Amino acid sequence: MKQIFQLLLPLVIVSTSVFAQEGQQKNEQQAHYNISKFKQLNEELPTPNTQHTASGAPGYEYTQQQVDYKIDIVLDTENHRINGKQTITYHNNSKDSLEYLWVQLDQNVRAANSKGSDRNSSRSRISYSLSSFTKNFMDKPFNGGFKIKALKDTNGNNLKHTINNTMMRIDLPNPLASGKTFIFDIKWWYNINNYKEDKGRSGFEIFEDGTTAYAIAQFYPRLAVYNNVEGWQNMQFWGSSEFALEFGNFEVSITTPKNYILNGTGVIQNPKDVLSKAQYKRYLQAQTNYKKPMFIVTSEEAKTASKEKSNKTKTWKLYAENVRDFAFATSPKYMWDALAVKLNDKTVMAYSLYPEEGKKLWQEHSTKVVANTLQVYSKHTFDYPYPQATSVNVEMGMEYPMICFNFGRGDKNGNFTQRTKKGMIGVVTHEVGHNYFPMIVNSDERQWTWMDEGINSFVQILALYKYDSIMFPMSKYPKNIVGYMKGDQSRLAPIMTQGENTFNFGANAYAKPAAGLFILRQTIMGPKLFDHAFKIYASRWKFKHPTPADFFRTMEDASAMDLDWFWRGWFYTTGNNDIGIKEVKKYHITNKPTKETIKIYERSNISKDNIPPSLFLISEDSEEFTEDLNNKVEDYNLLADYINQNFSSEEKATMKAPKYFYELKFEKPGDLVMPIIVEFEFEDGTKERKQFPAQIWRKNDNEVTKVFPTRKSIKKITIDPDQETADVNLSNNSWPKTSENKFERFKRNQVKS
Amino acid sequence: MKIQLLKNYLFLLLLIPFFSFSVHKYYLSLCEIEYVKEKESIQIIIGFFIDDIELTLNKDHNTSLKIATAQEFEFIDNYFETYLNKHLKVTVNNNLATYNYIGKEQDSDIVRFYLEITDIKVLNTLEIKNTCLIRDFEDQQNIIKINANQKHKTFYLNKKTHKGLLKY
Repeated sequence: MKQIFQLLLPLVIVSTSVFAQEGQQKNEQQAHYNISKFKQLNEELPTPNTQHTASGAPGYEYTQQQVDYKIDIVLDTENHRINGKQTITYHNNSKDSLEYLWVQLDQNVRAANSKGSDRNSSRSRISYSLSSFTKNFMDKPFNGGFKIKALKDTNGNNLKHTINNTMMRIDLPNPLASGKTFIFDIKWWYNINNYKEDKGRSGFEIFEDGTTAYAIAQFYPRLAVYNNVEGWQNMQFWGSSEFALEFGNFEVSITTPKNYILNGTGVIQNPKDVLSKAQYKRYLQAQTNYKKPMFIVTSEEAKTASKEKSNKTKTWKLYAENVRDFAFATSPKYMWDALAVKLNDKTVMAYSLYPEEGKKLWQEHSTKVVANTLQVYSKHTFDYPYPQATSVNVEMGMEYPMICFNFGRGDKNGNFTQRTKKGMIGVVTHEVGHNYFPMIVNSDERQWTWMDEGINSFVQILALYKYDSIMFPMSKYPKNIVGYMKGDQSRLAPIMTQGENTFNFGANAYAKPAAGLFILRQTIMGPKLFDHAFKIYASRWKFKHPTPADFFRTMEDASAMDLDWFWRGWFYTTGNNDIGIKEVKKYHITNKPTKETIKIYERSNISKDNIPPSLFLISEDSEEFTEDLNNKVEDYNLLADYINQNFSSEEKATMKAPKYFYELKFEKPGDLVMPIIVEFEFEDGTKERKQFPAQIWRKNDNEVTKVFPTRKSIKKITIDPDQETADVNLSNNSWPKTSENKFERFKRNQVKS
Repeated sequence: MKIQLLKNYLFLLLLIPFFSFSVHKYYLSLCEIEYVKEKESIQIIIGFFIDDIELTLNKDHNTSLKIATAQEFEFIDNYFETYLNKHLKVTVNNNLATYNYIGKEQDSDIVRFYLEITDIKVLNTLEIKNTCLIRDFEDQQNIIKINANQKHKTFYLNKKTHKGLLKY
């Protein structure tokens, strides 16, 4: 009978709709494309291919170029100038033949004719400090940018080249075939900027005693990435979005004044020549010093070196394998401490270089933080593959392979505030963490800032928590992102936006992706599934160039969780999460049919007395409800008989009947879909928590209803009690409604105390 | 690059100090204003970086206040109250309002002040003038977020623009 009815039903509907359409406008019921928030991401993600596969792994035809550098540098501390000559060996591992090479000249962002600031709007100010007035409007502009002195092939022939701002195209005499190598030489120099006055990711600074420190990076012409996704990396360096670089081996020699101490990417090949006898001895000792940091260069030695004046020089020789970049820092003021760190079966070195100004804080924390970062990141990804990691005290935060520049200095007496300490531990962790993202898991920073900053900021949370769980509690995530996410929509951009085009760079590319991954790990996937998938992503793309799709796909592929809805909402839109309780209805159980039930049966011509044996729900706010209904459901003979007939005594022992039914209507004013986490507090004070997957919203994006049978009466219901889903509006999260806001809560506590 | 993460949601609006270009501290304050009609109350929460406000107050009074440390000055609230009265002016329905200083709370590197204007039965206009910290920090930005009469509005005040006016 039922089946026949189902067959007939469509016919009835079809025929009525035909009639209905005759006299009506066609578009009363709008048709639409798939607008579900659970729609597959296929249209947003690039089509998988044999280089970037559908599973998110590199494919069997994945290729990657290699670029090796041999660089000789002379640091001219008199004129703050750097002279370099370098031989570049370019390996074309792609299947393509190349007509030209693109080289990045990042220093050109500081050239007098740089277009870096032309693309920003500017406004007049009501006042200018005298230094900024003279600098901006009266001084000669800083003569920055690369001066290319020679560009030749190995036979000494000039190579034709064109410079377009921060990029240089070298036209090859003959196309470079797949599998072939091209070797060429560049000679260059540039004026180093004072990073304290002119800003920048590198530069020099002059201390009060007149000595200088150099933190040098983006200092040599670097090959742009050529890959299967973008072709040549062709976006200019404007200042915010960072770098995309190829892996290779670096052989670098740096000539500095004799009293300078230096470290950089790679390992010093001639420590005996550049360190004093005592320092060299300590350098060797340090390699097996696992307990606490020891000095290789002491504070006293740094003091003496700072006072020295000499025209003599020395040359530091460094070698680094399989890195995407090279940077170094050097100053007579640096002391240097070291700690050997065990990672499974290998030992790596954690180093810190800092001037007296940073000593008090840094000798306590820097190297220990480096070690902690390597340990935690290794656990969540892969063992740190490089021989060392160095943190240098420079008043900024910037990362390079094996070396990074971090802030944190005290006042004149060396005393530091909590804010400085916290910031310093944070910045060292963050920048050392960048060794993984993007130095090794080498995403394209120019295109997708979040892939290194966001992912790194996420692992940073775990590393900081490990270092000091009181100073860096995890409980502040993902709450920290709420202020940003509930902000003015006209000043928000999706995470999947090129870095130069976002509004609030820090929140957009760092904090929001980190908070998103935090929610995924803690709440949606759980640490076990998340950690495994995350590790797979890191190891798949170690020393390779991943794209956003590779990350999204791997996280799903390795966990058997469809997360398309999460990527879509959190990464591709500016939506926020707001889930609330709209309505709570409490039902009791009765063995007498209610009026409503009777009415429904009557419609099918079944009289009241013929209703099959059932239990009925009666709403507490209905007219029929009477207080004496608070019976034990087990006492209803109807139910008791049924149980006796159908269950063994063993089964019966564990069976408990619910006493109430609560029907909860959840509302979702927010655009995002998220799991619903609901906590019940019962009359006896006990609590119970339930979590429903985000998919609960798949058929209705506005509200869903759910029934909860309980044995106890509910006193209070709270949605997302631990604030783990970045809910931007907590005023609708509880029942009964609490009208007290943050201000009133503060006021009440204030009055109390 | 690097961003300095702070303990609370305020940081996102208040602070993005250290990313990319050397030490680039952001000078920001966040003032959240809510009008609760049922309570006839305008509730103000304004947050500053402790070291910023400390620098300014030390300068004003030629002293060393050591805010949020064990050596904090006993009557420190008087300093705050006086400073706020001078630099945060709220005009309600065209009348300059006086607010009650409910108290302050410290949250990591931030100090927040709770201020309340009472007996506001209707809100027709609301004008905020905020000159806090502007004297000492060239790039100081004072953000005002207002939630009143079912409307949200944000003002970004600075050296050039001191005031924001809302009409309902």
